[in-house]
Amino acid sequence: MISLKNFTFSYKNGDEPKLNRANISVEAGQFVLVCGATGGGKSTLLKSLVGLVPHFTGGTASGVRLVDGIDFSRAMPHDSAHLIGFVNQQPEGAFVADTVLEELAFALEQLAIPRDDMIRRVDHALAATGLSELRDRKLIELSGGQQQRVAIAAALSAGQKILILDEPTSALDPAAATELLEFVSELCRTRGITAIIAEHRIERLIGLVDSVIVVNSDGTVSQGKPAAQLANFKFVPPLIEMSHLMKWPEVLLSIDQAAERFVLSKPATPKRIAHLPLGEQVVLAENIAVDYGSLRAVDSVSVSAKRGEIVAITGENGSGKTSLLWALQGSGIKTAGSISIAGQDPAKLSPTDRLAVVTMVPQQAADLLFLPSLGEELTESDQVADAQGSSTSRLFEQFSGRVDPAIHPRDLSSGQQLSLVLAMQLAKDASVVLLDEPTRGLDYATKRQVAQVLRDLAAKGKCVIFASHDVEFIAQSADRVIQLEAGQIIADQPVEQALEYRADNSLASQVAQITKLPGVIALQQLVTDD
Amino acid sequence: MLKRIESKMHPSTWWVLAISLAVVAGTATNIVQTVSIAAASVLLILTFRENAPWARSLKFYLLLAVAVVVIRVLFRIVFSFSKPTDDVLLNLPSFELNFGLGAIGLLGDVSAAALNGALLDGSRLAAIILAIAVANTLANPRKLLKSAPGALYEIATSVSVAINLAPQLIESFARVKRARGLRGKGAKTSTLNGLLIPVLEDTLDRSLLLAASMDARGFGRKSSQSKGELLLARLLGLQALLAITVGVFTLLSGFSPTAALVLLLVGLVTSFISVRITSRRNSRTSISRTARTWVDFTVLTICGTGLAINFATAVSLI
Repeated sequence: MISLKNFTFSYKNGDEPKLNRANISVEAGQFVLVCGATGGGKSTLLKSLVGLVPHFTGGTASGVRLVDGIDFSRAMPHDSAHLIGFVNQQPEGAFVADTVLEELAFALEQLAIPRDDMIRRVDHALAATGLSELRDRKLIELSGGQQQRVAIAAALSAGQKILILDEPTSALDPAAATELLEFVSELCRTRGITAIIAEHRIERLIGLVDSVIVVNSDGTVSQGKPAAQLANFKFVPPLIEMSHLMKWPEVLLSIDQAAERFVLSKPATPKRIAHLPLGEQVVLAENIAVDYGSLRAVDSVSVSAKRGEIVAITGENGSGKTSLLWALQGSGIKTAGSISIAGQDPAKLSPTDRLAVVTMVPQQAADLLFLPSLGEELTESDQVADAQGSSTSRLFEQFSGRVDPAIHPRDLSSGQQLSLVLAMQLAKDASVVLLDEPTRGLDYATKRQVAQVLRDLAAKGKCVIFASHDVEFIAQSADRVIQLEAGQIIADQPVEQALEYRADNSLASQVAQITKLPGVIALQQLVTDD
Repeated sequence: MLKRIESKMHPSTWWVLAISLAVVAGTATNIVQTVSIAAASVLLILTFRENAPWARSLKFYLLLAVAVVVIRVLFRIVFSFSKPTDDVLLNLPSFELNFGLGAIGLLGDVSAAALNGALLDGSRLAAIILAIAVANTLANPRKLLKSAPGALYEIATSVSVAINLAPQLIESFARVKRARGLRGKGAKTSTLNGLLIPVLEDTLDRSLLLAASMDARGFGRKSSQSKGELLLARLLGLQALLAITVGVFTLLSGFSPTAALVLLLVGLVTSFISVRITSRRNSRTSISRTARTWVDFTVLTICGTGLAINFATAVSLI
């Protein structure tokens, strides 16, 4: 149905190719997962299939792109628009119209479908995707999950048979993400759609896909059956690691299979999670409320945390996580309540004094970067922090290894950008560090690194509070989990209790679901010391 | 009920209504007329405005209108162009400025008639501003663009996409400003760059993302129009431009009003034909056919009648 033959792409002649003689071929009706490291060419591969590479990225490409038997190697993306639908990470950024109806009609308008036929087709597409009741709604009024569904419906409204999705769930909370992926899988089964999807949270898809394409860091690409492909892949979820750790002969691809197998393997008694000794209380917030006009985003929330403690705040999108963090930081809106960070109210401090007490890494970390080179960013940060010599660059090196200081900060990978901002914030040596969604878009290896950084901070006596809906990351890093729902705290528990296996616990980690043992949530608990 | 009428109304009807109001305001001869037109405009906006980004600018237009009136009256008080002949209202000390270019009188006596005249002038301008505000706040710019002829489709889409990006720009400004506070005060941090660069980069990223999404959905597919037709349309367009330019020159030079009128007419007709030819290649269709309904025709008739009466009274006064 769609294939690339000997496809090579590099941004500059002489640069290392992003894709190196890639050969892939996907049959009609197949559901295919693309995986690879953060910034490692997954997105490039998908865009090559759509034709956006090289037309929208610059650079040089060679090789053949075949769609439905037609050679589109030299064609622009719009020439194959009637065959391929493309959906990317941020649906809200790619919307052209302002209502659902007009958004779905856009592709049909470009293909000059007569108006009556167009309305019939849009209604059909809406019915097929279960969105009929949203037909006349405004796009901005929809939830993230609904927006992404509309984006998919719009990508298929002109009868396209191929759907290409670039990390469609990265902005969604776990429940919405699972729903969306099942929805795509359903489209493949019932409507014969061919879907190719890039996704970090592999475990959600392993059970659903027909084959897996791995993009390696040297630009080479391999395609094969899920089990074989993932057995050698480096950035795998705990579910796959479990097979390696327990030395099972084959890699098990579903939680249920692994759980059955685990019971038979009779493991040694799992260890408890090691917590650091806690210091004095450094964060005390009582009855905080945050209002945006008539909307109450945070509703009388009380939080306290000690030095050496890592607290995760979790909850659905819109449950008030970000608003709470900004209120704690002191520059966000706070309608009611009192906050004391290391004995001071951050809202009453000047921005400079505040940084000595509390620092924060916001969701879009790149917002903090604006100098022309990495080296300048690092020196500037040292000057601001009044830190000795090169403390920011030492911190950065610790997270990301050595990176050429002449590189433009925008050319760093998202993991490196996060490390840079994190290093800049840590150089200020504040007692409390806040992070908003620190693992968005990162692969498993980079997430492990971030978790290690947070634990190092806690060991130095800092208090870390982060917002995230990444259960596996929370299992690796946090001591305590606060669950928010509609602006209120519904649970505040130790991490073992929050993520352990219970029939009704939607936060249970993969390891918890496999072992079904109380208080067992992370792989390191199963590692024997000998 | 009223809201439903409004959502039915074609955006171009709002513009006709607004321009009619502006024309009547421009020929108004007393303050009662200008004030009632201004009041009517504000009332229209308050009744029909939706919760949309372009509908939130009433406050700005009101401020502008008040500022215009105040400035006009102040100018009249500060600069005395002629000695008042009738009853003097204000008796201020007078000055004279002379920079070698002729004397300018400042302050001095101000008559009631002069103030009245200034107030009328100011309020006329204010009423015109508010009349235009009616169109700007009530006519959905996207709907208006969608009724543009096919030849202008690409431009119309770009403009409508730009309208979409504006609120996002404001949002990223707020976000970046907050993030900048996290960076701390430094020699380079506090410059404007710290705000502008992240916002511009953000905007560029978003625009590229949107452009990619549009292209992947077929935007910019080539037409199947013949080369001959395209050439004809372009030649006609060029000819229309020439005719209009020469026509405007003739009109302004006062050489021959009839010739000017003929040239302008020829220019308009040829440009219309050119646009029609290029629109025929229209390899696109549109789902939202904003047809004019009886509401539009009623409003248009009222506007036409109003303008005709206005014109007739203006002529009879001369």
